[in-house]
Parts: sequence; structure tokens; C-alpha cells
Amino acid sequence: MAAIDLNTVRATIEGRLVTELASSPTIPVVFPNMAYSPPNNGTWVQCLTSFGGNDYLTMGGTTGSSNSVLGVVVINIFSAKGVGPGANLVVGKRVRDLYNRIVVSGVHFDPPTGPEVVASPSPEGFFQTQVRLTFETFEDL
Amino acid sequence: MAFYRGQQGSVKFDDAGATAAAITSTRSWSMSVEKESLDTTALGDTYRANVGGLISGSGTCEVLYSASSGDETNVFIEHVNTANDDGTALFELYLDTSGSKKITFDGVITSAEYSATVGEIEVITLNFVANGAITLDV
Repeated sequence: MAAIDLNTVRATIEGRLVTELASSPTIPVVFPNMAYSPPNNGTWVQCLTSFGGNDYLTMGGTTGSSNSVLGVVVINIFSAKGVGPGANLVVGKRVRDLYNRIVVSGVHFDPPTGPEVVASPSPEGFFQTQVRLTFETFEDL
Repeated sequence: MAFYRGQQGSVKFDDAGATAAAITSTRSWSMSVEKESLDTTALGDTYRANVGGLISGSGTCEVLYSASSGDETNVFIEHVNTANDDGTALFELYLDTSGSKKITFDGVITSAEYSATVGEIEVITLNFVANGAITLDV
């Protein structure tokens, strides 16, 4: 029993995405605080993992107790502009299926929201959708 | 002045009534200790009179289901199903982390509600009554 390792949780989340998008057709994935030059008119994915609210789960002090750790994953899917949403939604389905109600390494993923079309893509020059999902994991002290 | 928060509490239990072991994943507990009042008002009295009668205790404990096995937590959540329960299971309900402030008694688990709700952690709610003396060291 130990305090939660946030990077272990992050690796669980990001690892699934990397593995999935490394299979054919391969799609580049970019994570926060990394230099990246988007491909011209290509498809790529951005994954942002954030930790949010924590709460008491059980009684106890700094040992023999458990906390709930909540977080959200925002996955932006960028694809070529001016060719319709089809290709983007194919990627969106891959992403959505990757997390939908899945429990992996103690991380419980809720049903995803999206892919939702983003009216003002950032960066510009792409068609962008966004998949968001909340997750919960448990910290055993 | 020291105050306490709920997470500082805990529950211990031993079905054999000997040495209580911690119940893991306890979310909450509560207990009511009640004393009956016996009316001793005499004919002609202006004010009603009462004396204390029998003392009893009952309470509730919520445990998050963790699939524990082979430990007292598992015994605790299944104890309602014990046949010929002689009421000698030991309960210790703690108010502080250091473990010196507690309510101790032998008792019977009278009901267990096992529940699962989509999107929520599974909870087992146990109700109990005391059997015999209740020791308050709070």
C-alpha cells in the first residue's frame, strides 16, 4: 500500500492510446509539454490527462485507508480539412472503444463523451473533434 | 480544543468475541445507545417522574465492497448469515485514530444490505444490536 503514483496512472492511460494508434493505420500522438509539428493535412491525436478531485473513501489515517482519485482525459483528434468528418470519426471510434467502461490497472474509465466537433480548431487548418472521458482510481494508503 | 473528523474513526470486529481486527474499507458507522424511562409518578404529584430503565444499543456500519477474503472484514459482511448466533461477536467502534476512544460491546448483526449502483462504488450496509453491556470509553 502506498500513495498513488500519478505517472503510473498517466502511463496506463496514455499507453493504451499509444499502443492502439501504433497499429495500422498508424496515427501520431502528442502529449502535453512536448514539441510537435503537426503534419500538413494529416491526421494526428493529442492526449491531455488531468487529475482532479480527490475524496475520502474509507475511514483511517495515513495507513490502512483509501482515497478516490478522479481525473479527466481530453483527446483531440485532428484530420484533414474540407473532406468531411468520416475519417475523423473513424479515429474517434478507435479512441472511444479504447476506454469505454474499461477497467485497466485499477483505473476505471467512464463512458466517453464525444467525439464532439470543435468549432474553432486549435491549431487551425484541421478538422477537429474531441473525446472526453472521466476516470476514477483508488489510492490505498 | 481538539475536534475530530469522520475519517479518524474505525471499526473492529471479531466473530469469536476475542480479539477484534480492523474492518478494512469502512466508510461510516453510527450507534445509538438508548435507555428506557420508567414512569414513577405518584398519584397527586405535580410533575411526572422517571427513572432509567434498560439500556440498549443499535447501529449501522457501511463497508465498501473490496472482495476481501479470509479476513475479519469478510466475516463481518457475511456474519448476518450465521446460524445459531449467540451474540458474542465483539464490536469496537472507534472515534479517533489513536484507538483509545471507543464503544465496545458484544452484538448481533441483524441485517446486511448489499448494493450495486451503476457508476458508484459498491456498498454493504450492516445493522447491528448490542447484546449485554455496552462500554463507552469516549
